[in-house]
Amino acid sequence: MSSPQDPAKPEALRVGVFVCHCGLNIAGTVDVHAVAEFAKTIPDVVYVKENRYTCADPGQEEIRKAIRQQKLNRVVIAACSPRMHEPTFRRTVAEAGLNSFLYEMANIREFASWCHQSDPAAATERAKDSVKMAVAKVRLMQPLQTIEVPVTNKAVIIGGGIAGINAALDLAEQGFKVYMVESTQSIGGHMAALDKTFPTLDCSICIEGPKMVDCARHPNITIFANSDLVKCEGYIGNFKVKIRKNPRFVIPEKCTGCGECKDACPIEYPNEWDNNLGTRKAISVPFDQTVPLVYSINRDYCIECFKCTEACGERDAIDFDQKPQEVDIEVGAIVVSTGFDVYEPYDMPLLGYGKYPNVITGMEFERLILAAGPTGGKVIRQSDGKKPHRIAFILCVGSRDKQHYPYCSNFCCMYTLKHVVQLKEKYKEDVEVYVFYMDIRSPGKGYEEFYDRARERGVNFIRGRVSRIDEDPVTHNLMVHSEDSLLGQPIEVEADMVVLATASIPKKGSDEVARILNLSRDANGFFMEAHPKLKPMDAPTDGVFFAGACAGLKDIPYSVSQGSGAASRAATVISKPKWKIEPIISIVDEEKCKKCGACVDKCPYGAIRQDADQPAKIITASCHGCGTCVAECPSHAITQMHFTDAQVLAQIHAALETNPEDKILAILCNWCSYAGADLAGISRCDYPASVRAIRVMCSGRVAREFVLEALRLGAGAVLIGACHLPYDCHYISGNYKMKDRTDALKAMLTKLGMSPERFRVEYVSAAEGIHYAEVIREIDSQRKALGKEKIQAENAKLKPILENMLKRK
Amino acid sequence: MTEAASTSPPQGKEQPIKASEIDPKFKYELQKMHGSEKILKCFQCGTCTSDCPVARFSDSYRPRTLIHMAQLGLKDRVLNSDTLWLCAACFTCTDRCPQDVEVASVIRVFRNLATEKGCIPQVFKDQAQSLIETGYAYKIPDLRIKKRESQGLPPLPKGNPDAVKKTLKGVAFFDRVQKPQGEQASGKQ
Repeated sequence: MSSPQDPAKPEALRVGVFVCHCGLNIAGTVDVHAVAEFAKTIPDVVYVKENRYTCADPGQEEIRKAIRQQKLNRVVIAACSPRMHEPTFRRTVAEAGLNSFLYEMANIREFASWCHQSDPAAATERAKDSVKMAVAKVRLMQPLQTIEVPVTNKAVIIGGGIAGINAALDLAEQGFKVYMVESTQSIGGHMAALDKTFPTLDCSICIEGPKMVDCARHPNITIFANSDLVKCEGYIGNFKVKIRKNPRFVIPEKCTGCGECKDACPIEYPNEWDNNLGTRKAISVPFDQTVPLVYSINRDYCIECFKCTEACGERDAIDFDQKPQEVDIEVGAIVVSTGFDVYEPYDMPLLGYGKYPNVITGMEFERLILAAGPTGGKVIRQSDGKKPHRIAFILCVGSRDKQHYPYCSNFCCMYTLKHVVQLKEKYKEDVEVYVFYMDIRSPGKGYEEFYDRARERGVNFIRGRVSRIDEDPVTHNLMVHSEDSLLGQPIEVEADMVVLATASIPKKGSDEVARILNLSRDANGFFMEAHPKLKPMDAPTDGVFFAGACAGLKDIPYSVSQGSGAASRAATVISKPKWKIEPIISIVDEEKCKKCGACVDKCPYGAIRQDADQPAKIITASCHGCGTCVAECPSHAITQMHFTDAQVLAQIHAALETNPEDKILAILCNWCSYAGADLAGISRCDYPASVRAIRVMCSGRVAREFVLEALRLGAGAVLIGACHLPYDCHYISGNYKMKDRTDALKAMLTKLGMSPERFRVEYVSAAEGIHYAEVIREIDSQRKALGKEKIQAENAKLKPILENMLKRK
Repeated sequence: MTEAASTSPPQGKEQPIKASEIDPKFKYELQKMHGSEKILKCFQCGTCTSDCPVARFSDSYRPRTLIHMAQLGLKDRVLNSDTLWLCAACFTCTDRCPQDVEVASVIRVFRNLATEKGCIPQVFKDQAQSLIETGYAYKIPDLRIKKRESQGLPPLPKGNPDAVKKTLKGVAFFDRVQKPQGEQASGKQ
């Protein structure tokens, strides 16, 4: 290992240090003059200046002036947290003609004056060390340029349900070219199959149909229906997508949608659009409002009588030799809106679905009560075609069930309320309705009022989960067994028909889409967002966005909002001619790379590719700069710009140069634990000044060598601060990678004779300033309890082993 | 000796719940015991009670209510409840539970805790006594033995109380059932 103190010097280093008073915020506790005097003694520092307020215009002008006049080529600003003013001073140094990545901040406000007010001397010592650490790092810094990649100003929407339709229309209206890929024969999704929508009871196809037609007519939208996503390559701004158009055996350009072929066709088969309750012809459209209005032949049923060809005549739209056709498109952004499937509870034998004819699902009920449905809107029993007078609705079938789908399916309460209100308003006292529920979830606008409406119409609500349904084999009536848990009594209800509000589940084929687009899925199989709250429509892969139920179940208003939201997110990419990337990304040293591929699995973004016998390759535009791969690479072939091993090690060396046994070396992730430590300062939580903190972007960056080196140098204790498990990591899973690594490391160090309390991993959120202060207090008291002598004795024992381990690398 | 359950009304329906009865730590104790680890997952859907063959014929045995009382911390009410002892251990509830709460095992845990407390219904104590004395849980009445003889049936195999005692000693059966009989009356109050 080369010594980190030995930087390559292409030109003589001229470091300028600017010590900020921040009024009395810093100067009130820290002896700023002493810090400035100390800075002058650090090698390579050629200029030191104190400012009352560095961030104010005169302060910034001082910096610009000094860079020009003193020919500074590195700048250290000892002031507040870099989370506060790093961007400000980047601009300042750039304005003076220095590369904006050649400066570093030393945090002497949040990390010294504000958090050690009771001990000004110690605060001053910490501030001095902070400046020394910043100078150590800045010496090794390299000029970096913001990376720019070109952007294709087009988007593709995968899935043409209501969310995808809205995304497509919004993007098209903004003037972008949009491709829409739909796997079925018509866009529209589940919404096109519904009768009414809650809570307003407007007709579903009447409100969705016009939007579907708008899509088809819009000059900026190209619809690929009956098509599949086959392949996707590239990165944000530059995706190459391959789509396969599956054969319909009808030429779309020639089909007029007249339907004469359908009238001529002698074959009928069950219509999946009607949940197989009705039939369609072997050449047909799934429903009247189909968009695009192109007929399709189902060759599984077609007997090749060619009556359709005769009926089509001169239009000549029928082509029995049609083959799958692959189309390549280039886009800058991808919106995934693949939707969901509805669970069919064949594997819940106690409910008798599939066995008892009068037990149906909510989607089947939807097609029964729909005026354009197979029964013309008459609700009838499958066993005898008679109208049911007692109907039981069962909620949470398959949902909230650990043996099936443990999550709540979001909209079943509401669509069941819609069904019962429709029934009661249509048949009044002629039908008695029972709803078996565990909880009614109605948190949307107008939803609770809709629940009121159901109760006022005389619907019976029974709080209990149905355990079993028995059928009378003669009448085909059903006996529903449950407990009325509010009365505490088992209850049975006889019904003529039972409607199961079944779970909604991840779309079949989601795994394939996930594989093609490199998306991750949660435990339930829905796509994972980049952040569940703040980036609900962003996929972890840059340039890919989600809309609707594919990333977790959503009702229509929510899906529509997300469609527009995803369009807006996609537009932030494709509205730009170029996409800028922070240059703090990782790069691979191809000569050092052993081609083991370890980094590929560890990258949370799938940004690394390693083909057989080729060195690993980082897709610059996909790299988020967490540095996890750097810490994981067994051959040290990867470097994270601006957070190189040498830079961090130099900081560690500077921090532990004097009295290492008395110090706690903390490596904090930028987003949570560093922010939490900042908050401890902002909240004036007083804690021991023995800590020396180093900022990295993600705890995933913390390599084993950092910890080993700190201990080799004799650190009293080492702390790694990370975002909370499981979901808080800003780089998806960097904290998990760090945990795996450090669990093993800690076990090893303990075995080698280190007191376990000397190495700690702590999860601190940006809101947990008090927690951070407590952690430092705790470690400091543990360090004191162990005593300097014991720590030195342990270190003496550890040192040769650690040196050996570090040498081997 | 008083009947185990007679001091407290069953299932706690008759009496309003007093703040002093609630032991909020009870649920954590249960979480650590084998069989009732998942008790806090119960969301009171009532599937267990709906399909329970005992609940169908009983006016008081409701597994859902027992679990809810335990979650709330009504420890004494649960352990003093005589309905606890009505469970036939058919495990239908465990099969049906959508939250994977092993309901029948939870009831078993309640019974074990009740036994440790000395809250055992007399009928089970009599059975235990019979087991210790004769090696049979159920003492065959003399009349039936005579009847068998008169019908020319072979005599029943003799129980082996010594072997049974040895096994029972190994599982601390006596400590729970026999020995504390004197303590039970005092321990109960």
